[in-house]
Parts: sequence; C-alpha cells; structure tokens
Amino acid sequence: MRGPKTIRAGAIAAIVALAAIAPARAACEVKFGALGPLSGPAAQWGLAVKGAAEFVAAEENAAGGLQVGQEKCRVTVTAFDAKYNAEGAAAGANYFVSQGVRFVIGPVGSPEMTGVKPIAARNNLLVMGDSFAKNAIGPQWPLVFHSGPGPSGWAPSIVDVAKQTYGIKSVVIVAPNDQGGTDIASVDAEAYRRHGVEPAEEYYQRGTSNFAAIAARIIARNPDAVDTASSPPGDAGVIVKQLRQAGYKGVLGRLGGSGTEEIARVAGGMDVLQNFYWYENVVVDERLKALGERYRQLVGAERPENTLFYPFVAATRMVTKAIAKAGTATDTKAVAAALRTLPVDDPDFGQGLWIGQDFYGINQELSFPFGIGLIVDGKPRPIAKHEAATGK
Amino acid sequence: MTSFVTATLIGVSLGAQYALLALGFTLIFGILGVVNFAHGGFYVLGGYAAYWFVSAAGLPYPLAVVLATLVTGILGYLFELLLIERLVDDHLATLMLTLGLYLMLSTGILITFGPESPLFEFPLNGTLRAGPFYFPIANLVVLAVCLLAILGVYALIFRTDLGRALRALADDRQVAAAQGLRPRLLFPLAFALACGLAGMTGALVTPILSLAPHVGDPVLATSFLIVILGGLGSIGGATVAAFLVGLVEAYSSVYLGGSKGALALFVLVLIILVVRPSGLFGRIAREA
Repeated sequence: MRGPKTIRAGAIAAIVALAAIAPARAACEVKFGALGPLSGPAAQWGLAVKGAAEFVAAEENAAGGLQVGQEKCRVTVTAFDAKYNAEGAAAGANYFVSQGVRFVIGPVGSPEMTGVKPIAARNNLLVMGDSFAKNAIGPQWPLVFHSGPGPSGWAPSIVDVAKQTYGIKSVVIVAPNDQGGTDIASVDAEAYRRHGVEPAEEYYQRGTSNFAAIAARIIARNPDAVDTASSPPGDAGVIVKQLRQAGYKGVLGRLGGSGTEEIARVAGGMDVLQNFYWYENVVVDERLKALGERYRQLVGAERPENTLFYPFVAATRMVTKAIAKAGTATDTKAVAAALRTLPVDDPDFGQGLWIGQDFYGINQELSFPFGIGLIVDGKPRPIAKHEAATGK
Repeated sequence: MTSFVTATLIGVSLGAQYALLALGFTLIFGILGVVNFAHGGFYVLGGYAAYWFVSAAGLPYPLAVVLATLVTGILGYLFELLLIERLVDDHLATLMLTLGLYLMLSTGILITFGPESPLFEFPLNGTLRAGPFYFPIANLVVLAVCLLAILGVYALIFRTDLGRALRALADDRQVAAAQGLRPRLLFPLAFALACGLAGMTGALVTPILSLAPHVGDPVLATSFLIVILGGLGSIGGATVAAFLVGLVEAYSSVYLGGSKGALALFVLVLIILVVRPSGLFGRIAREA
C-alpha cells in the first residue's frame, strides 16, 4: 500500500510537470472570446457568433495554426452567455480579461455592446461585434469594429423593394423599449419616411411574453405593414402569431436581425407569414452551402441555423488575418491598425467594403453583399442579392 | 368600444392563466411558509413535458397536458419530501434550495432541448369572430380549462378533508399537528399540487405563446406580484389579484402602449400596497 509521502511526492511531480508544459502551450495560443446570448429569445444570434468563432478557429488549427510572427499558434475559443443585456456582456468581457482573451467576437445586441465597450476600452480588447445601436462604434472606441452594417446601410434598399412589391403606405414598427429596440426602430422609421411610407413606432417592455394587447393596439392603427425590427426572433414569432389571430391580414416585415426560420416556427409555419419582407445577412449560394459542409467536418456538428453565422465567419477571418499581418496576438492596437488597412476580401463571401464614416464617424464597419428576402402570397421567393451597402 | 371589449377579453384570458400560476405559488407560501423560486421552472417543465409527450411519444395533446401535470406534480412531491422538508422552517435555506432547483431545471432543459423554440402548436386553430370582436379558439379552451382548474382547487381546499387539513396547517401548524395532522405527509402533497398547477399552466399556455427554456423567468415575477397584491397566502386574494392584474395589463397596454402600460400596472400595485400593505385581502397570513 502506498503511503501518504509517496502520494504527495507524485502529486508534486505531476504539478511540476504540468507547470513545465503550461508556459510552452500558453506562449503560442491565441484566445478568442465568443460573446452573445446563448440562452433566451435571442439565443440564435449568440449561437451563430459562437459557431462562427469556433469554425474559424478550427480552420486555422486544421491548417497548422495561426501565423503570429515566427510561430504557428493554436486558436482557442471561450464562449460566454451575455444574455442579451449590458450586465451580462460586461461580465463576459471581465471574464475574458481574466482568461487572457484579447479578441472578442461578438456581442450581437445593442445592450450587450453598451455593456462590453467600457471594459474593452479599459483592457484594450479588440471587439468585432454586431449591434444596430446608433453609437455601436465610433471614434472614441478605436478598438471596436462592426461585423456588418446596421440598418442605416441596408434599410433604405429593403423599404424600396417592399414598397414596390406590396404597395405599402403605412407601417407600425414594433420593438423593445430599450436601446436595442429604440435605436433601430428610429433608423428604420427614417428609412420608411424617406420612401413615402408613414411610420409609427410601438414599443414593449423586454421580457413581455404575451403580445395580445399590443397586437390589438397595432390593429387599431390599421397599418399596411407591421415591422418587427430588432425584436428577438422568439418575441417576433409570438407577435406575428397573435397579430394573425387578431385578424391582421396585412404585410409583415423585419428590418432587423435575421431569424425568419425561428419566427415562422414560433408563429406556426411559413404559411402564417403570408406576405413578409426581411433583411438577410447573406445570400446562401453554393459556396456558402459548401461552407456549411466544412463546418460539419471541422467542428463535428451542424452549423448554427441563423444566417448571422456567415458574416461572423467573414469578420472573424478578418481578425485572424489582421493578427497574422500585425505579427502579434497581444498588441491589439497594432492588430486594429492592421485590420483597418486590410482589403475586405473573403474566399467565400467575395469582396466587400469598409464603411461607417458617414453614420458613425469611423470607417470600421465591414460591408459585404446582403440579401433581401420576400414571401409573396405565401410563396417564398429566392433571396435577392444586393450589392454591399456603401453607408451613403 | 371595440378596443374596450377586446382588452377585456384579453385581460380575462390573461387573468385566468395568472390565477392558475398564482394559486400554486400562494398555496406553497400559505401552507409551508416557503417562497418557491422554482415556480417558473415547473411552468417551463410542464411545457416541455407536454411537448415531449406530443412530439416524441406521439400522444394526443389533452393526454400530454394531464401527464405533464403529473410529472411536475411528482417532481414537486419528491423535491419537497427529500429536500425542502428537512429545512422547511429555515426561510433562507428554502429560498436557496428553490432558486437552485430553478437554475437546475432551466439549465437541464436548455441542455436537453437546446435554446431554440421547438414547433409546439395548440391542436385547435382559428378565431371566433363577431363583427369587430375576436377570441382565438385556443385561448378560449385554455380559459375554460383554467377556470375549471381554479374551481377544482377551490373545491379541494374548501370542500375536502385534505383541504381542511391543509388550511389547518396554514392557520397554525403546531395546533394542527397537536390535533393529529401530519405535516410530513401533507406538505409534499401541497407542494405537488402547486407544482402540478404550474406545470399544467405551462402545458396549456406555451403552445399558444412560445416554448423556450427562458419562458419561466417572467412567470416568477408575475406570480410574486399577484400573490403580494392579493395578500400572501390568501387563495381568494390571489385569484382576485390575478384577474385584476390581467385586466389592468390588458387595458393599459391597449390604451397606453407596451411601455407605459407596464409602468401603469406597477404604479397601481404600488398605490394599493401603500394603502393596504398586507395586500387586497389584508390579513397577515403568516408571521415572518
């Protein structure tokens, strides 16, 4: 029987051995933090961010690691559930700092972006997030980048198509009454107004689960269209379901984050949508379908359902390219400087643009071609590809 | 006039659902003196259990609702018997236990079923219409079942020996025990009844709204609000307060909008509590 001294000696030897190995591994590891809602009604978006970060990490690792200076480094991803609120995102950013993470992929909501920016600024984290807040990025946050344009970039084009297709003259925009809802609703409203569609804004308390009363209020306005804007897909599905139950027969739209599948599932199927227009992050062509297959091979699971996955793959790849160009995985200012000078080009998504100067005052917003989805009289049309938003 | 009638129908429908939830919550507090923070968890579990019985086991929806009620009731019974019972007089311990159970339930559901909403539809579609007025058939069925369940709870509590025993324990546990009533036998039954009610509400309501692991979060807040407004531990108070909250929520949302409506509800509750600190049916149900 082994005595306590033998066990103690063995334990010490194991700790010494681990300690010897640990610095060698940590010295060449690039840690990404994936931040977004992994639970709750906006979970689809967070899962898309996490999936994208894990996929790009797997791509780099399968190729032998990310080139950082003279070394090939392993890319790892730590995910944190920001719960689609500011405190969750702030907690996530602090957690990442404690884990030595320097690059944050996400978050995806305006409340989350509000929570993450001060901590990112204090700790020099480079953030590649997606938020439709009016102040999502700006000159005061030089390390914060936007993975895709907000509604200021694409809403006017979609309103134009919706007006031509359905002949709408009035719209009620429904959104949560926090920054995540009010910012996008006001930008959407301006896009409608410019195209001669009279908008009205209707807000609800985030956390509302029964929208029957709000549906009744909307119907009393008798709008041609109801736009669920940036309401989480789960909420939007209930809104659509209860509007239809209340007898609303008009057009439905969504100038906000993607989630048509989830909305249809909660509402009771595609038939319930009937006439529906929406912003789609990308047009999933054969090349992007192949990307889904590669995800399955590399990660060993089905790719996240939400199409926000795709732009975050492109955005994460831009970050890895910037790290390689800067030759450092610790100096985020140098990586940000490299990122700004990189041409927007991706093997799967094609060419894009850096935009944002006009709306945000800083050119740190990635813009790739996007899609416009339409369901007309219950028949889905192929997603129409639209050239990358210029931000003008 | 159309808006008023519509808001009234919505309010009554909401009130019945809230009443079923709040009855379970207030029963546990009134009889055991425990604030059940896992109440929303049993609501979600009821929804997912019914979903599983329909989609995986292929059972008809009404049977799935009955089974979901039983599953949540049995789980509640075991939870009380094995954990709560040991610490039933320690308010902080039971608070932590029920909160912990809620986290375990919601995380377990998240891991098992994933974070996305499954397709779980009420078997009856369509809407009854009379001129400008409407009422979804599913809501009507849920309203009828909720009202029947509320009557059933009343009959159980006020017309049976079990109910009399539970009320006696709620009034004065020591005297009731001295009379031969056995808390160790009756407490798990009360807990099972309350959890079964929450599970049944989840099984009934989630297909007409949505089913996802997080949908229990607002349930706890609403139940708390109603039970405090009605008077902690008061069954009649909880029922009246549930319909009051449902109606106020509906009227204020229809006339003031989603933001101001929520504010109006809480202002009203605040005023009532300032005037009647022990709730609408203001007797002190239990010494703290």
